[in-house]
Amino acid sequence: MKIIIIGAGEVGFHTAQRLTTENKEVVVIDKQPEALKRFVELLDVQTFCGSGSSPRILEEAGIAGADMLLAVTDSDETNLVACMFTESISVGVRKLARIRDEDYFHFKPELAPTMLKIETIINPENELTKTVLNSLAVPGAEHINDFADGNIKLIGVRIEKESPVIGVRLHELRKKFGSLRFIIAAIFRNDRLTIPFGNDTINAGDLVYFVCETTQLKKVLKIFGSRTAPVHNILIVGCGNIGMKIAQEIEKQSYHLRIIEANRERCRFLAEKLNSAIVLHGDGTDKTLLEEENIRDIDMVISLTGNEEVNFLTSLLVKNMGAKRTMTRINKFAYMPIISDIGLGNIISPRLSAINSIIQHVRRGKILSSVSLKGEEAEVLEAVALETSGIVGTPLKNLNFPTGAIILAVAHGKTSIIPDGDTVIEPNDRVVILSTRKNIPRVERELMVKLEYF
Amino acid sequence: MRLYYVIRSVGAIAVCIGLTMLLPLAFSVYYDDGSTQPLVQSMLIVLGIGLPVLLFTRRFDQPYMNHRNAMTIVTIGWIAATLIGALPFFLAGTFGTFTDCVFESISGFSTTGSSVLTDIECVPKGILMWRSLTHWLGGMGIIVLSLAILPFLGLGGMQLYRAEAPGPTPDKLTPRIRDTASALWIIYLVFTLVMIILLMFGGMDLFDSICHTFGTLATGGFSTKNLSIAYYNSAYIDAVITIFMLLAGINFSLHYQLLFGKIKPVFSDPELRFFLLVVAFLILVTAFVLYQTTYPGLSQSFRYAAFQVSSIITTTGYVTADFEIWPFLSQSILLFCMFLGASAGSTGGGMKCMRIMLLLKHIYLELFRIIHPRAVTQLKFGKRLVTEDIIRGVWGFFIMYIGLFLLSSFVLTALGIDLVTSFSAVAACIGNVGPGLGSVGPTNNYAHLPVVAKWMLSICMLLGRLEIYTVIILFVPEFWRK
Repeated sequence: MKIIIIGAGEVGFHTAQRLTTENKEVVVIDKQPEALKRFVELLDVQTFCGSGSSPRILEEAGIAGADMLLAVTDSDETNLVACMFTESISVGVRKLARIRDEDYFHFKPELAPTMLKIETIINPENELTKTVLNSLAVPGAEHINDFADGNIKLIGVRIEKESPVIGVRLHELRKKFGSLRFIIAAIFRNDRLTIPFGNDTINAGDLVYFVCETTQLKKVLKIFGSRTAPVHNILIVGCGNIGMKIAQEIEKQSYHLRIIEANRERCRFLAEKLNSAIVLHGDGTDKTLLEEENIRDIDMVISLTGNEEVNFLTSLLVKNMGAKRTMTRINKFAYMPIISDIGLGNIISPRLSAINSIIQHVRRGKILSSVSLKGEEAEVLEAVALETSGIVGTPLKNLNFPTGAIILAVAHGKTSIIPDGDTVIEPNDRVVILSTRKNIPRVERELMVKLEYF
Repeated sequence: MRLYYVIRSVGAIAVCIGLTMLLPLAFSVYYDDGSTQPLVQSMLIVLGIGLPVLLFTRRFDQPYMNHRNAMTIVTIGWIAATLIGALPFFLAGTFGTFTDCVFESISGFSTTGSSVLTDIECVPKGILMWRSLTHWLGGMGIIVLSLAILPFLGLGGMQLYRAEAPGPTPDKLTPRIRDTASALWIIYLVFTLVMIILLMFGGMDLFDSICHTFGTLATGGFSTKNLSIAYYNSAYIDAVITIFMLLAGINFSLHYQLLFGKIKPVFSDPELRFFLLVVAFLILVTAFVLYQTTYPGLSQSFRYAAFQVSSIITTTGYVTADFEIWPFLSQSILLFCMFLGASAGSTGGGMKCMRIMLLLKHIYLELFRIIHPRAVTQLKFGKRLVTEDIIRGVWGFFIMYIGLFLLSSFVLTALGIDLVTSFSAVAACIGNVGPGLGSVGPTNNYAHLPVVAKWMLSICMLLGRLEIYTVIILFVPEFWRK
């Protein structure tokens, strides 16, 4: 599968990195030779220096033989023009464009199916807003993903010191709460991801990933001792485009929202556009302002300024002053490993959101979606089990599935099941599988090869 | 430094080379020439060490590779290849000393073709086939071969490829390095098959035509005859070999483009034009000089001049005429060819036309700047912009090349070897050419040189093939600092 990526920024790099580890042919186009250098040195990709919107460069890069075009530069216009020329040079190439401007995004129906035949339009800000709202709905979780049309949720929770599950072996846990069905998928401890067995225990400070049905989520979270007190008071620090969009979404629900913004003009604008939110003019790291606004009673502080160092410090400060939870926006991927070290749980990144949705759309065939877990050591896939696949028709305990990979959930029609050893997968069921990155090719073989060739 | 990963990669390279011993083995069994046993033994030794290394280091695969690892793997891989190459010679007792075995092996892998064999024709055919095969493997590159065969090297592949490939800016032809490596080997293989058939039409038997094809396409120069190509004394064979030497001296990425029907960009390639122009000019001058002095006929002068100039400029080193007896002008033209070499990205050696062109252009730009001090200039090669760091790299290479040449010549003269022999032997070895002048000329060989000189020249051949940087960087203390 040959994929052409336009734009050698952070989004382009991480998308290319994931695609090359899956042995896809990747070609990257960018105007900046400096930006391409990193690709040549670290990844097995081919690079072309030039404007991605130029039909000459696109032809040179081999658009005619490509399967997919990912236009992910920072410029919407470049992305759109690239898609336009691709459509005229080579009909049938699947196109994905990253579009940030609201005005373009509103004309999605015109852009997508008719004019340029763009298959997918990714708006990182929209993706981010979705992530934020999801997190607000499940305040105890660090990681949330939907599978099987939202019937099944993958949740990552940090185990607090007073949690009742500490020291309990996993198989005892299952006995204890027999009626509640959930599977512990992975445990992230000391920067390492492990797939646990029945004899493993849970420690304080672990990040535990589990899968359960959406309807039972609250009960399962209680087992892990997660503070499920619902969020009422929200504070947004720094309210640019993303902040505004999140604020508008939050206003639609029954939250109480405050906003701190340093730019007076912007404050006026926000006050005009927003209805119930309290817009405060000031600095997010101003202690007296925070005290005045009763920071202790705020359930969630979202730091969204354009400066990530400021976001870090704001989150640390408000946590220190008594705010219950924080969400921090970061852009530099280099900071990701230190986030849990300095005690900040939830992070949000428009780029990461964009990359995740891009990867999801690249996957063709029977894989419907995929999500990377923390540290990128493992991935959760949702796939359709075809009649001829090796996993169909046998009880799970008899399956010869690679170690390091587990079937987490099965969706059968509209009902979803958390499986046990006796579950039998039927044709056209959707299965949710967790696999360590090393085992992904083997899982794909288990599922895909049989699916595709027989 | 990821030591285990280096060991794993070198083990993989060793296994690849070990498996290729099947070809000479087949010939030695067919001819029943007594070299079967040493070949089987060598293969068992190589696989016996290589396979366990591969198995036991399985968990050391790593997701990416840095420059240091790549250069270490390539250099150590080549040294390992040299030792593997020397094994059959050593076990078969082809040479009296270990030094000679190593010299012949590195001369093979580096596609030099300088031999220490005095009587080639009495050596078993299996061993001769192995000797020519080392050329063929080293020509396109053992790293490129490993990249094409072994998937696990793919992740750091570009670094490895760059450390081995000749020329200042190796091209990646396809998105995945593995596909590039495969494409190069397939083109190489097709040329090989075509040439074997053409040579057999000229009356060579299968064995000789395979050996000479390997020697030609790798721009190596090992023959199976004491007289080299002069043995056949056939204008047809001379012509076939001349054409294929020149083809092998052209950048293989141009062959690749030609394969996809892109004729125009290939013939507008500045390096190709320069290369062909220089070859044509030098052939005409040499032919004219030879017609005036040495040979009676014009066609004869042209035939020898064309073959010999092509042979030396592509750094092959086959001979059809004893250029020892040629006039000095012709000899100095050949010496010039040894330094110039073939195109970047070809199987040939030398400094490469592209580098010389870049240097000439850069010098011209410097002069231009003196005339127009405020002019803004950009160095361009064809339509591509050449950045400052590439030029810096090329100058560095040029200076190190000349430095290595001078240093090695001093060592050889210090051993009591005459000036012409010393200079030409070193030039022929760094440039991976083969025959020099004086007592290492076309009718002689390197057997009579002292042991120290042979080791010195072996080092020159390795440095010449890996284009100096890759090897010499291992001797910079900063490289090993943690």
